[in-house]
Amino acid sequence: MTEQNPAADARTTARVVIVDDHAIFRSGLRADLADTIDVVGEAGSVDQAVEVISRELPDVVLLDVHLPGGLGGGGREVLNRCAPLLGQVRFLALSVSDAASDVVSVIRAGARGYVTKTISGEEISAAVHRVAGGDAVFSPRLAGFVLDAFGTAVEDIADDELDRLSARELEVMRLIARGYSYKEVAKELFISIKTVETHVSAVLRKLQLSNRYELSRWAAERRLL
Amino acid sequence: MKTAAERPPLVRSGDRVIAGVCGGLAAHLGWPVKFVRLGMIVAALAGGAGLVFYGWLWTMVPTADEDAQRRAPRPASPIAPAVSAPEVPPDGAQTAQAASGEGAGTARRRPWHPPQRGRDRTIPYGKEVLLGVGLLLLAAILIARQLGVEVPLGTLIPVAAILGGAAIAWMQLDETRRAHLVDRTKADQAGGWVRLLAGLALVMAGVLVMVSGAGSWEQTWLALLASVTVLGGVGLVLLPWGLKFWKDFEAERAGRIRETERAEIAAHLHDSVLQTLALIQRRAGSEQDVVRLARAQERELRTWLFGDTNRDAGLLAERIRAAAAEVEDTHGHAVDVVCVGDAPLSERHEALVQAAREAMLNAVRHGGGAVSVYLECSDRGAEVFVKDRGPGFDPDAVPADRMGVRESIIGRMQRHGGTAVILSDEDGTEVRLSLPAPQGHDEPEPAKPEPRNGDHA
Repeated sequence: MTEQNPAADARTTARVVIVDDHAIFRSGLRADLADTIDVVGEAGSVDQAVEVISRELPDVVLLDVHLPGGLGGGGREVLNRCAPLLGQVRFLALSVSDAASDVVSVIRAGARGYVTKTISGEEISAAVHRVAGGDAVFSPRLAGFVLDAFGTAVEDIADDELDRLSARELEVMRLIARGYSYKEVAKELFISIKTVETHVSAVLRKLQLSNRYELSRWAAERRLL
Repeated sequence: MKTAAERPPLVRSGDRVIAGVCGGLAAHLGWPVKFVRLGMIVAALAGGAGLVFYGWLWTMVPTADEDAQRRAPRPASPIAPAVSAPEVPPDGAQTAQAASGEGAGTARRRPWHPPQRGRDRTIPYGKEVLLGVGLLLLAAILIARQLGVEVPLGTLIPVAAILGGAAIAWMQLDETRRAHLVDRTKADQAGGWVRLLAGLALVMAGVLVMVSGAGSWEQTWLALLASVTVLGGVGLVLLPWGLKFWKDFEAERAGRIRETERAEIAAHLHDSVLQTLALIQRRAGSEQDVVRLARAQERELRTWLFGDTNRDAGLLAERIRAAAAEVEDTHGHAVDVVCVGDAPLSERHEALVQAAREAMLNAVRHGGGAVSVYLECSDRGAEVFVKDRGPGFDPDAVPADRMGVRESIIGRMQRHGGTAVILSDEDGTEVRLSLPAPQGHDEPEPAKPEPRNGDHA
């Protein structure tokens, strides 16, 4: 990624705000997170979240997709209202739901990744650092949605850069969908982890910006848009 | 009416000439319809007895649809019935409360009669009285005629027409009142209107003929004009009331539907989540049991909440998911499935599912950590990847007598024109199953354990 957040390095501490409407989950997550993560705030509703985030300007927000308050838009509403901050604050969506509508809508609203709540403390800490570093965090399921939306066939003619996944990106997505970690993907494809991260970020950008016909159709079929 | 237990219930048949009475009777008695109809006609000729009997059955016997509605099996959940078919819910919240209370307390389903019975009893009762009076009158007339007393038929026939018309119209109203038969009423709306209009027309004609005393046409027309005017005026006055009534009725119906939905959700949560939570509390000691229960419940709830009802259950992705769920259930070990694309299930796909299932079983038994399953379907064929994070093993070192890997996975895939590749190292094992599309020109690779880095995805 081009710009590097100063606090992004995995060895430094990442400042995090946890947004979830269940206090039990918040405290559990706080306990689970590694020492390198400093929880600077918590919020339980859309309005609280916007307020805490604008005040604390954390590196990463762990954002539950389903939140009370506001206009009822949940995590997506928080993202939309924090849109001006998206350059400095990164969002990692967190949810019990892995329904396509939830996942894709928060990603398209600007979240840099999506993990389910069953993830272990170790994994989520790694994901937080990765997001803090400006990279994207793809769960196997999110990779599956991407493949579903963009199709799995490699297309030779890339007339619209933004709207297609390159062969390499497809490969990376496929491996992630198969349950590979970034490290394993790198090993499998003989590339560096950094390159894997670049590919994943590129896919994320395409997912967020694409108006691709297939994506719209895919979303329409699932009544996401 | 004696009804032997083994006989089909007496209902008016849908295959009908007039009202389906004879057909229903024939089905009930097990006689040929022809004879029943013939008998009915003969009886009708014998002083009208058949007609009376026919009319009686017409009124008293429900149609097959109505009967089915009445006997419709209640929703499978123990608490849904309490709310899902309330005749007159006293108050939504109260009902729901009562329902969940009942569900949590006395729990299991008991046969459902109470309010329904009461209601069914009252209306036929009224009908019976009316009908009895009518029949007595008819009998009196017939007897009188038999005895040679002159009966003023000129008056009686219009009266009968009025009564008949009113009866038809009222029957219609009665049916609309059964608000919970929403779909039925809607489906029959055209027919309902026709019946209502026919009833009204009959009544009006009867009234006119009676009032005009079969007088001149001029008089009749005047009377008709007058009655139409009166009816129009009354209609104009009553219209707002009618509309308001209709709106209230619609609102109430919508509310009832919402209530039913809510009750269904409550029932589902009760049946699934609450039961699981209770089980988890009882088994809190065993981590594996708790994980298994939680996973199974999560899966079930997910399917219920986010499940794509449009999706055909007979498809490959569904089968892979089901296999994963089964493995998860039996071993209490999480198996995450990601599916991209889908395909209709063929016999070859069945083999793929079986091989994948075997691979999942191995992954769960011998591997460790999260087991990931990835299915990808495209025009080129279907691929399944099963990955675990166990200690790994040497595929070549597996003894020949171990059927699991050699026979159930590799052999099975080869027999169906596919390939199976097993890669294992200290970070885990991955089984790659590939099944090219039948007419596919790309030849399947020979099934031999590839070197670690051979990526064939």
